[in-house]
Amino acid sequence: MVKFIKIILILIVIFCFFSQPALAKAKVLTDIKVIHASTESRHVDPSLKKIIPKLKSVFKYTSYRLLKNQRLNLNFNQKGRVNLPGKKTLIVMPSDIEGKRIRYHIVIQKNNHPIFQTQVLLKNNSSITIGGPQFNNGTLLFNISGSMR
Amino acid sequence: MKKQCNKYTSEDISRFVDNELPRNRYHELVQHLSHCPECKLLVEQYRSISAAFNEHADQQELKIGTGKLKQKVDHVIQNSQKKPVGTVFGLFSKNIYLKLASITAILMISLFIFQEGLFDPAGPSAVVTSVDTDFSSVMIFETQKEKHTIIWFSET
Repeated sequence: MVKFIKIILILIVIFCFFSQPALAKAKVLTDIKVIHASTESRHVDPSLKKIIPKLKSVFKYTSYRLLKNQRLNLNFNQKGRVNLPGKKTLIVMPSDIEGKRIRYHIVIQKNNHPIFQTQVLLKNNSSITIGGPQFNNGTLLFNISGSMR
Repeated sequence: MKKQCNKYTSEDISRFVDNELPRNRYHELVQHLSHCPECKLLVEQYRSISAAFNEHADQQELKIGTGKLKQKVDHVIQNSQKKPVGTVFGLFSKNIYLKLASITAILMISLFIFQEGLFDPAGPSAVVTSVDTDFSSVMIFETQKEKHTIIWFSET
């Protein structure tokens, strides 16, 4: 029985060693959804089913159209770029892990000039929505989700 | 067993056969047996019963078998030596499937813990640590149910 316990302990140590994501090797899967929200129609994009209840609880928009859905597989301190309507660019960069959260630097540029930048600690397998830029009688919303691999 | 001779009771005869009579009474009865056929017959009957009983007892003793007995004793000793080690997980000492199931369960729990399944951080989906913008109006809020974080800025 002592042997049995020893084997279990060794297995757990090996298992934990290999299952713990090492920061140097880890990649961060970042999904960016560019959404056009307006009150002009009553269209809701089916691919936004998961996000819509969250947005509807806050905004009074009736239409949510997915303009772009980009998946970026980023290393830490690697920048990912997404071109936005209106000559804007969204730059996201995972920089660190703090507890169970991923630290992201997020920048919105217009003509290569940062007009908005923020740092957030995003819960793993969760998302944040940034909104505000006006576009086509509506507003642009950027839903950024991240998960460590 | 009934007999006609009244000098010695059947109990006396029985004690005589078993050598339990006092020496003087024993010799008296030996002399008596030479001329009392009834008591003599009773003595013979008691002796044959005693002999049969002894023989039967010997056979029973042989049937036990010392080798088998020794083997049983050794088995009990071995089991008692194994017991102290097995007491912690006595339940798992025999069943290999139970062992495998327990290993699997422990590994799965470890996986769950280390893959952040059990201890998701509480609070909003994102904690905003800094905001820097050219615009004057920035709002940060979270939805009531899902605690989804939203940053809202106005370009105007």
